[in-house]
Amino acid sequence: MSSPTEDDATCSSSKRDERCELEENLDVLRRITVFAEVPLPRLKLYAYLCKRTCFEPGEFIFRQGTADDRGYIILRGTAQVVREYQDHSIFLNELHEGEFFGGVALLSDIKRLFSVKAVTRVECLTLDRESFRKLLVQFPEVGVKVLDVMIKRITFLEEQLMQKHAHDCVYH
Amino acid sequence: MTHNVIPASFKPESKTERRFEMCLDSGYKTAGMTESVDGWQLFGPLSTPTFNCTRSFMEVNETAPGCVIVIRNPATLPSPIERRILLPMVTKKTLFSWVLQCCRGLQALLLVMILFTVFLRVFPLEMQKRIINVAIQSRNLHALLTYCGLYIFAVVMAGVLKYVINVLQGYIGQKIVYEMRDRLYAHILTLPLSFFRRTPPGMVISSLTSELSGPGDFLGSALAAPTINVLTLVTFAGYMVYLNPLLAVLSFAIYPLEILIIPVLQNRYNRLNQERINITRTMSNAIGEAIAGMHEIHGNASYHIETEKLDRSSAMLFSLRHRMNKSKFLIKFVNNFFQSLGPFILFLVGGYLSIRGELDLGALVAFLSAYEKLYDPWKELMDYYQDLQDSRVRYYQVMSYFDSAPEFAIEPADGRAPYQFRGEIAITDLAFVIDGEVRLLDQISLAVKPGEQLAMVGLSGSGKSTLAMVMGQLYCYTQGHVLLDGMELKSLSKRDVSHNIGYVAQHPFIFDGTILDNVLYACKSLQHAGEGSERQLPTREEILQVIDEVGLTEDVLRMGLNMVLEEGRQAELAQKLVVVRQRFRQRWAGELARVVEFFDINQFLFYTDISENITFGSPTRPEYEPAKLAGNKLFREFLDEKDLTTLLFNLGVEIAVQTVSLLEDLQDDQFFFELSPIPRDEFDAYSAIVGKINQAGVGRLSKKETEAVLRLALRFSPAQHKMATLPVELQRRIIAARRDFAEKLRARDPGAFSFYHPDHYLYTHSVLENILFGHPRADQSRAVEEIQDRVVDLLRAEKVFDEVMEAGLGFAVGSMGDRLSGGQKQKIAIARVFLKKPTILILDEATASLDNRSQARIQELINSRWKGKATLVAVVHRLELVKDYDQIVVLKAGKIVEMGRYQELLEQKGIFYELTHGR
Repeated sequence: MSSPTEDDATCSSSKRDERCELEENLDVLRRITVFAEVPLPRLKLYAYLCKRTCFEPGEFIFRQGTADDRGYIILRGTAQVVREYQDHSIFLNELHEGEFFGGVALLSDIKRLFSVKAVTRVECLTLDRESFRKLLVQFPEVGVKVLDVMIKRITFLEEQLMQKHAHDCVYH
Repeated sequence: MTHNVIPASFKPESKTERRFEMCLDSGYKTAGMTESVDGWQLFGPLSTPTFNCTRSFMEVNETAPGCVIVIRNPATLPSPIERRILLPMVTKKTLFSWVLQCCRGLQALLLVMILFTVFLRVFPLEMQKRIINVAIQSRNLHALLTYCGLYIFAVVMAGVLKYVINVLQGYIGQKIVYEMRDRLYAHILTLPLSFFRRTPPGMVISSLTSELSGPGDFLGSALAAPTINVLTLVTFAGYMVYLNPLLAVLSFAIYPLEILIIPVLQNRYNRLNQERINITRTMSNAIGEAIAGMHEIHGNASYHIETEKLDRSSAMLFSLRHRMNKSKFLIKFVNNFFQSLGPFILFLVGGYLSIRGELDLGALVAFLSAYEKLYDPWKELMDYYQDLQDSRVRYYQVMSYFDSAPEFAIEPADGRAPYQFRGEIAITDLAFVIDGEVRLLDQISLAVKPGEQLAMVGLSGSGKSTLAMVMGQLYCYTQGHVLLDGMELKSLSKRDVSHNIGYVAQHPFIFDGTILDNVLYACKSLQHAGEGSERQLPTREEILQVIDEVGLTEDVLRMGLNMVLEEGRQAELAQKLVVVRQRFRQRWAGELARVVEFFDINQFLFYTDISENITFGSPTRPEYEPAKLAGNKLFREFLDEKDLTTLLFNLGVEIAVQTVSLLEDLQDDQFFFELSPIPRDEFDAYSAIVGKINQAGVGRLSKKETEAVLRLALRFSPAQHKMATLPVELQRRIIAARRDFAEKLRARDPGAFSFYHPDHYLYTHSVLENILFGHPRADQSRAVEEIQDRVVDLLRAEKVFDEVMEAGLGFAVGSMGDRLSGGQKQKIAIARVFLKKPTILILDEATASLDNRSQARIQELINSRWKGKATLVAVVHRLELVKDYDQIVVLKAGKIVEMGRYQELLEQKGIFYELTHGR
């Protein structure tokens, strides 16, 4: 039978290849840039608070214009990002295994700018805003690191926008 | 018109007269004089005429603030309400006044018993003398037996009486503490908000819980102790004089010396003690500061500076303690010396007298006995003196801390019913000044007609919240007038205000309890009013309607569906839900398989914990309940038979180790424990077990600890708890063991479990799980939402919807509502006020934590339901919402800068215009 290991922050199980969900989540999170600088024990807590969701082919992971409160990481499958208009929709991007999207909802109550639709059967890892905020309050240094990366992403988008449509952009 | 009296301070002058000052504003006017009844008479200062009062109400003449009013014979105060106002504030009562006020009958009894005890203490002495003189010396056996018998009788009776006296003293003391605590707390609750801003809660808590118990206990014996001891001393002294006056005088000569010297020494000790307390506090602060600034200390390598700081305090403490010890032991020495001096003198002089034949032996023995017995009462008197000093200091310290007057009257002065206002608010020249200079509000004037809606806007710090709080009678304004239906707000009692005004704070407070408790809080406190209030609590329909209006239906419904019902109390609902279950299966069974994990005896249930996977039923007897299963003999036997124990134990260890390391520093927040198999209050225990495992290995665990580990494994729910996996072997064995468990139990303890059956309600599972007869698969969240919608439709069709909502209202919100989100708390606070149906609504950014849609919805609601019926004053942050308000007031730095309707203000292109355009 197995015995618990103390120093390593991973869990063991009766068979070497069977890992607990916590460890699997942790692995996935480690590969995301947003969480890259988070120390391992703290990242474990993020892994602990994540939930798993499955979507059938054709199901919307979230829709444009709705309020949403979580960030997503694709574990398995492919999804498409579309921008919807009244009578048609434009395909923007395809998302694959290991990609992190929808993170802005972790920061504030926003409406989605686009829809994401599952092409194949998709399994996602999700983290909701309340958990993110609770962790932010408990470990502000960690939260700040995550925020740093996310804000850089957002600024990058804004930069691209400014380059193309500077005169259209106004702050409120 | 009568005005309410603001509670006064109290200075007792004599037994027949009570004087006290009235804290009056100069604006009070009278309606006239009335007759005096029952010896009531009020005297004002020389310059104002005297006036009288009747039994039912008191009218006050136009008087200057601080005038002195005398009431004779306040014991005839007719009603409890008046008595509450006119009696002195609890903080002004002297320490001894409590003794005289409580349990007078018992105290009288106590005194009688003391007299008896004193007699019974002296009696054995006389018996001693007679035993020696009469019985022994005259060789009278009969007399010996008699006197010995009387002696033992007296001693035993004295003991019994002492026991009764002690019990009585304790009882009286506790009764006094009880009353002190109640009255002080009632007083503290009425203190103004400014008091609570500057007072740490710990101070209030320790004052009420520990600081008062010392003085209270002291007061229990405050009369008895000195009486009994003084009487004893006097009686013994008398007896000793009766035996031999010369010896008596000699032995008493010592005591005055003691009385002079010892208090001096004691005072010295007390002063040193006080200094010690101060220095210890300084030392703690220094250490605390060093720890907080440890990074500075490391960065500057200033270790020697810090150790020096501590060293100074430590050295002073050392010297102080040394001096204290010297004082203390000097006192002991002096005491002991005097104690031994006495017998020395007695033996010397008494012996001489005996040799000369002037004193018989029996008398000498009795004398010595009496002298020894003097020590105890004397010591008790000294202790009493110490206690008195200590209690006095503590008591007056606590009382002086809370010695502020409430800003507003709590009840209407004359027991009248609370006013019912139409909702008209008029503010003229209002100013709110704090600390003498800071003008938080200045020159505020506005008017709101009944049913109108007023919005207050401005940047942060402009004073809009302060103004809202002044209007809600939470702060007392300094100058100007706030008139409600023409009545000055300052003069209204809290009862009047709470009847008419509903106030929602920016950060509402949710009390520990159920949602129902919180939502009915305002209504319940209105019910308590006394005469003139026939308000009844809202019905279930009304409550659910308001819950819907504020947008809490979905949340409460979800909580209801997640509720675990109580077997005895909610059996009816359980039956109805079984019917719903059957209907549900009929309609939707086929589509459910993907989304629901059914309670199937041949499958392992990943969404249920291991203990239920094994037992596959719910216990009917307490010894089989999940928490106790790990210790249950029959169950453990079964586990051993099926070779499950070791596997479970290892699983438990794994879970414990992982969870403890994960949640180590997070015990303050309940949130992190929602997904944890270890509940928050057991965390420390498991932490200790893991510590032991890390140090000594699993073999060294005690029986209780092993049980705890097994209990944890039994609580493990594979799909919900992520930190360990369920070994396939364990899974297989459990499914195999299930039916055997049922059989074993049927054989050995029938009726202990009710095994899962589609026709039975499962009390260990939630409402939703019962309806589905399975557990929704959490990873299919979209589909699960659809299922929930269908369940809700069915509940409505079967008319069980309201009952489930009611169950949801029973959700326990946790301490300070910490199991609720910010938005939910605000909605509950709004619902609380809506249920009260007040004539005036004051909302201070009451929807700030809600999402935009909910904010708009509540604004909609206020417009449709309350416009014209209730006056609304709202502090608003999001300016899109104020378009339909009758009036908008813009505040800046405590003053009104703009006022008008939405369109007007925009056209002015002033501050309001800037605010709306986001600058």
